Amino acid sequence: MVRTDAPVVVADAGPLIHLDELDALDVLADFPEVWVPEDVWSEVALHRPQALRHSGIRLVRHEASPISARMNAIAALYSLHRGERAALALCLEHSIGTLLADDTAARLAATSLNLVTHGTLGLLIRSVRRGLRSPTEVLALLNSIATRSTLHIRPSLLDDVIRQVQREWNDPSA
Amino acid sequence: MSNLIQAEIPDGLLQQANALVSQGWASNVQEVVNESLRRYLESHQDVLAERFVRDDVAWALHGED
Repeated sequence: MVRTDAPVVVADAGPLIHLDELDALDVLADFPEVWVPEDVWSEVALHRPQALRHSGIRLVRHEASPISARMNAIAALYSLHRGERAALALCLEHSIGTLLADDTAARLAATSLNLVTHGTLGLLIRSVRRGLRSPTEVLALLNSIATRSTLHIRPSLLDDVIRQVQREWNDPSA
Repeated sequence: MSNLIQAEIPDGLLQQANALVSQGWASNVQEVVNESLRRYLESHQDVLAERFVRDDVAWALHGED
């Protein structure tokens, strides 16, 4: 049974695209809603339209939020894309405290706004704690990131993360 | 020291860069490209990216939501 004590979150394009590339969008299944601003929706529709048709997750398409002067300044400071700016604005407008994003600059900007951010890697690993995926499945997904997804992560860091979660999950191959 | 590289830039971005130059916000397109690259590199430092990944893994393993 899917647990539902997770918060409503706002998603940038990265995690939606990368998780779909890995055929792992189901790791978002326990979020009551995943809000997607119009600019992000358009970006995902352009690059990975099938990600928006996943039946097991509750994606909610949102019209553009008003962009304040402060938000425009932050977007310029961190060189954010339209979608990233829209996602941050949606978080602020509706007091949603969690943004799903992979881009470092977007995550830095979100942190400056006191928002919590989580990325593809964290969402995959979390799915074990939430009972959505098995450790074996997630380890296989982590090991396939370089070949199956467009997520960019330094290989030595990914290897280190994989060893860390293997130890945590008492994987005998660790 | 400067280095010469060749890169393709989408029409839309080049038009915006040219507009900045013609409006007097930059001396030339090269300055816009250099400034853009510098800002991108500043906000995508390896140490920052790694910190976000490690924080995320800690939450993923031991968080509550």
